[in-house]
Amino acid sequence: MSTFDTGHVFEAKKLSYDYPGGIAALKKLSFAIGAGELVALVGANGSGKSTLLKLMDGLIFPTGGELLALGQSLSENAFKSGEFRLDFRRRVGLVFQDADVQLFSPTVWDEVTFGPLQLGISKNEVVSRGQEVLQLLGLAHLKERPPYLLSGGEKKKVSLASVLSLHPQVLLLDEPTTGLDPWSQGNLIDFLLQWADKDKCLVFSTQDLDIVEEIASRVIIIGAEHNIVADGKPEDFLSDPDLLLRTNLVHEHSHRHKDLVHRHPHVHEHHHND
Amino acid sequence: MHIPDGYLSPATCGTMYAVSLPFWFVAIRKVKQVLTTRTVPILAIFAAFSFVLMMFNVPIPGGTTAHAVGATLLAIVLGPWAAVLGVSVALGIQALFFGDGGLLTFGTNCFNMAIVMPLVGYFVYKVISANSDVKSPRRTLGAVIGSYMGIIAASGVAGIELGLQPGLFHAVNGTPLYAPYGLSVAVPAMLIAHLAVAGPVEAVVSGGVVAYLQRAHPSLIKAGAVGTKEGKLWILWGTLGVLALAAPVGLLASGTAWGEWGVDELQTMGLGFIPKGLQTLYRWWPAPLPDYGFPRMGAVIGYIMSAVLGMAVIAFLVWMLGRRLVRRTSPAAQVASQQEHTG
Amino acid sequence: MTGEGFLTKNISGITHTLESVIVAEDLCRAPGLLQRLDPRAKVVTFALFIVTVGLARSFWPLSAIFALILAVTAASRISMGFFLKRIFLFIPIFTLVIAIPALFVTPGSPLVTMASKVIITEQGARTAGLLFLRVTDSMSFGVLLILTTRWTSVLAALRWLRMPSLLVDILGMTYRYIFLLLHSTNSMFLARRSRTLGSFSSNENRRWLTRALGTTMVKSRHLSEDVYLAMLSRGYQGETRVLNDFKMEYRDFLWVAFALVAVSVAIWSNRL
Repeated sequence: MSTFDTGHVFEAKKLSYDYPGGIAALKKLSFAIGAGELVALVGANGSGKSTLLKLMDGLIFPTGGELLALGQSLSENAFKSGEFRLDFRRRVGLVFQDADVQLFSPTVWDEVTFGPLQLGISKNEVVSRGQEVLQLLGLAHLKERPPYLLSGGEKKKVSLASVLSLHPQVLLLDEPTTGLDPWSQGNLIDFLLQWADKDKCLVFSTQDLDIVEEIASRVIIIGAEHNIVADGKPEDFLSDPDLLLRTNLVHEHSHRHKDLVHRHPHVHEHHHND
Repeated sequence: MHIPDGYLSPATCGTMYAVSLPFWFVAIRKVKQVLTTRTVPILAIFAAFSFVLMMFNVPIPGGTTAHAVGATLLAIVLGPWAAVLGVSVALGIQALFFGDGGLLTFGTNCFNMAIVMPLVGYFVYKVISANSDVKSPRRTLGAVIGSYMGIIAASGVAGIELGLQPGLFHAVNGTPLYAPYGLSVAVPAMLIAHLAVAGPVEAVVSGGVVAYLQRAHPSLIKAGAVGTKEGKLWILWGTLGVLALAAPVGLLASGTAWGEWGVDELQTMGLGFIPKGLQTLYRWWPAPLPDYGFPRMGAVIGYIMSAVLGMAVIAFLVWMLGRRLVRRTSPAAQVASQQEHTG
Repeated sequence: MTGEGFLTKNISGITHTLESVIVAEDLCRAPGLLQRLDPRAKVVTFALFIVTVGLARSFWPLSAIFALILAVTAASRISMGFFLKRIFLFIPIFTLVIAIPALFVTPGSPLVTMASKVIITEQGARTAGLLFLRVTDSMSFGVLLILTTRWTSVLAALRWLRMPSLLVDILGMTYRYIFLLLHSTNSMFLARRSRTLGSFSSNENRRWLTRALGTTMVKSRHLSEDVYLAMLSRGYQGETRVLNDFKMEYRDFLWVAFALVAVSVAIWSNRL
């Protein structure tokens, strides 16, 4: 597995994206993400996190500014080259927020083998990858099951499996823990932490601040104005209640003690002793 | 209108498959051209939608329910050729999984409901709504009338297919081998059932959905530009097609005078020919079968068959000609169709 | 038509569809005769049978084929009651309704007379009988194919038979998304039902229905966009590549041979 030969995995230079129709989704984002990082994209609903992930996966392209991935500027033209396209699709994987969108094949087995098959990998290798990834996520007993017979949690797992069978170096996840029960959440977090290493890169979007501290080495906060409000280590920002309030990540809580009204942001503070 | 296996002879089924094939090929090419690699997911999901639509039982006055096919609706939103494929796929799944429509008769059912219906319906819709604004009531009217005419045309063709069976395919002693009723019964029966019942359901559903889309999601209606040509040639083309369809029906009119039998013994019947409340049919139940041995009939029916076939060939040739004559879609339209992302 | 009736009819229709397919999935795995056959052999031989049924001109080949169908069904561990219910529930009843008037109406030599008036003719009886048998036989083959073959295998067989890959892809994906849409539609109906105290007029029902359909259509559009992106993301380039692991074994050849013999006998009997 080749390592990243250029400095950054992702580099955004005043990246902007407008929906067809003119509404702005993202405004002039600038950031750089390197190998080995685990980045959390945080922002309220509608802040454009999903759109940014789709941009990073080369599914849609910037309407302003530039986005480079694996050293190449992402654009419609760039993907015309079969070689780049194949390489990119193999190395970067995106797990969508809505599992049903990602599970379009008739059975789980078809789903996890879809990716490697399309990329031209040999049949034997495809079969072994399929089995490997099913084992990894404990899905072997669901091999022949059609997607509509799966539970929500199982769907998310199959979704992840179908991307992992590509053996990607970069994993993009759109709200991976939303809708999962606490046990499954914990499992997923453990799995992601295990998966990550210095040659890989993990970027995920979430609204759950607890997750951020458990996984991320870095957090990028996107504000209501669709620009970057903060970018750095989680500890630096997650204990700043004003910042969190401003970006709609927490709500203000008020309660009364007789005539005294206490108003404070509703935030949990974790202290880790590493 | 889903004709099951057993009602049509294999010869008829084969013919109808052959007639449908050119339309399927054209549809595939046209749709691939505009949708490119998006073809599969868009068509699949709209075929699923078409299937689900056919499952809705709409209440109609009289206390029963009927279901719409939605071919014209699909044509309005996705374009006629995408509708051809979408409805064909939905019909295929219905035939395979639910026995709704036979497998031999699949070609026939597709011709009626997936080819004739959306093409006729879309043509009428275009004529009525022309280039009016997306939210204009003319479009709703076009949807209502277009879908109604589409389903009527389809049912008429189905009636012809069924009605030709006894005359063409019978045992030595005259027993009809497949569908037992001749043209003079099958065609009116089908037409009446659809004029009175299924047609209004289709019209109401299509019109209702288009009206809703106009209010809530007008972009969907503008999006129906897959593989259509703006401008006069489409209208010429369509007129030719409608005329070609009318020709066999015109021939039919001279055929119904034969074989008038004494109707008294038949009036004691109380059963429905086609279910869902068509008692009215029996008040004027005409003689069902012309005399099989009658020599002239053979020639005329053969004529009708070749007219139907000829119509398909003509349509295909006209399309080929049309491609040479018409300008390609303008660059602006191509860019617009690519920006179909909804973010 | 009360609100209750409209809703119930549609909800039960949809739920019934969902359930019936789930049952079919289980049957595909049972260790029966048909389940073990290569799907390509099945598709081809069943198609041959259906054509033969279409060509038959008398009762005995049609009845013989029906007997064969019953035997094969039993050998495939399909409960006879379940099978017969599936067949006789839909089309054959409709067919009877069409066939019965033919009994009385077809002119020809009398079979049953009443008070010196001809009621049923021989030709009428033959027509009705032939029609009924044909429909039943053909339907049975379709039903048996679906009950004993996994849908993915049917698709793969179609692909092997040179059906355009675009169509096979669409068929496969359509099938999958029918369930998603049915599910969401079901939820819409149930949600409405849970908020309904009285009943609605037909008009209100119709209006609600068209709105529900419109919403489903919009959902379909968004869904198709996202599914496309998801496919792109995993390397889709226009033509889906698949794994094929078909092998014709001894019993498949035996079955094909048997089918050819049966079909030939049936067709030859037409000359008698």
